[in-house]
Amino acid sequence: MSENRPPTLIIDGSPPTWRSYRRELRAFHEVLRMLIRRDLIVRFRQTYFGLAWLLFKPLMLMAVMSFAFGFLAGFEKSHATPYPLIIFCGVIPWYFFSNSVPDSMNSLLGHMHIIQKTYFPRAIIPIAAVAVDAIEFAIAWLLFALGCIWFGYLPGWQIVFFPLFCLQLLVLCTTIGLWLSVANVQFRDIGNLIPFMLTTGFFLTPVGYTLMRIPEQWQLVYALNPLVGIIEGLRWSLLNGMEGFPLVPVILSLATTLASGLIAVHHFLAVESDLVDLA
Amino acid sequence: MNDIVIDIANLSKRYSLSHQHRPDSLKAWLRAMMRPGGIKLGDQSTEEEFWALKDVNLQVREGECLALIGKNGSGKSTVLKVLARVIPPTSGRVRVRGRVASLLEVGTGFHPELTGRENIFLNGAMLGCREREIRRRFDAMVEFSGVERFLDTPVKHYSSGMYVRLAYAVAAHVDTDILIIDEVLAVGDAEFQKKCQNHLRTALAAGTSAIVVSHSIPTIKTLSSHVAWLREGRLYEAGPIDSDILQRYAAC
Repeated sequence: MSENRPPTLIIDGSPPTWRSYRRELRAFHEVLRMLIRRDLIVRFRQTYFGLAWLLFKPLMLMAVMSFAFGFLAGFEKSHATPYPLIIFCGVIPWYFFSNSVPDSMNSLLGHMHIIQKTYFPRAIIPIAAVAVDAIEFAIAWLLFALGCIWFGYLPGWQIVFFPLFCLQLLVLCTTIGLWLSVANVQFRDIGNLIPFMLTTGFFLTPVGYTLMRIPEQWQLVYALNPLVGIIEGLRWSLLNGMEGFPLVPVILSLATTLASGLIAVHHFLAVESDLVDLA
Repeated sequence: MNDIVIDIANLSKRYSLSHQHRPDSLKAWLRAMMRPGGIKLGDQSTEEEFWALKDVNLQVREGECLALIGKNGSGKSTVLKVLARVIPPTSGRVRVRGRVASLLEVGTGFHPELTGRENIFLNGAMLGCREREIRRRFDAMVEFSGVERFLDTPVKHYSSGMYVRLAYAVAAHVDTDILIIDEVLAVGDAEFQKKCQNHLRTALAAGTSAIVVSHSIPTIKTLSSHVAWLREGRLYEAGPIDSDILQRYAAC
């Protein structure tokens, strides 16, 4: 007998509650750590540069983006803030979002062979997929700090709100990932639809431009995209307030993040135990 | 101390052959969104039912090893999958006391690009083992598997024998109260199989309980204390291993 016997487990097909699921996640947290480690190892094994790719990828992306938007498109040269920094504040969160959404969406289907053979809370799989991309996201901000030094730029007091916007983005990516990962098991259509939506979404998100470019009467509808509030909030927090606090987009973004998050978690818990039969 | 560790009560599992999903407003909404005009497709009620399990009642006590026997499609694996929490039951319930390690396959989660060492930790975690415990039993696992020399080689370069030996070694050393085993005893060569059986017998003697599916009558005879015969999803007969169930099963 093992020394620490868990409480009696009842298997009756009823969906887990929030509380019981949190307990399970805690009990299996090492699976999460192992999956993240596995993904990092596998992604960079047999590459010459190894983990340095975590640095190269955002670096290349930022170089291309500042060239494309700053030099070719010639947007907003009038800003007092160095233009590449404005772009980076949009590119870094977008890059994280647009990687983590397909990664988590495909995660459950890609792990079906495991799901069919053993139990651990299935949420761990999409969460691990998002976490691996979040590591790249964090490293990209280190590059942003280097960019600030390069341009001799110092963020203001607003920077204390920076972690909050990052947290919101993390919550958004994770819950969307949970939702899409189960939806993709049930309806493989999702896997075809989402890449297209991401391509469209890039233009509907202030990545290479700022909210100010959107006509006044459309800004409210535009800000229903939760990324608008997050990106504009990040710009406000890191770039000395930009043109004032984007109150309406931030509130709308919080509301849409919360609403979609609750729906996503609820839906995930409702179908989690059925995944093998649904696939 | 003959405590009941697995209590299966009126367990049933239904499949619908028309591959229809359970009605659910969100799913219906999603489906409608995905397939415009296709909402009516899901409403067809001409589905055919298939009961993979019907009102199965079984109990396993501490230190017992219950073998499930029956033809292909009789529901043996379905019982194990419900116990392993891979699929939910349609009705009925199972009460499980203790930690469960499910070996529906050996090497679940093994990744070909990872080394033997890395896979031991990944697989161990999936079997519900803490890293600390795996570290403590690491040497025993490696010795049992006999792949010391290749520990830091990606398992994609392993022979299939080495692969299953390592995988079984992890499973065998996981600290658990209840083992759920589906035909995985038939891995490796005769010598290794004997090693596995001996190991399992030792665990059973130490108080671990097990529920196994096997088509090998000799294996069942050497390991099990009880046997349950399933037929078309129903429990046909159950009893101790020395009753005549096995003879009659072999005869039919």
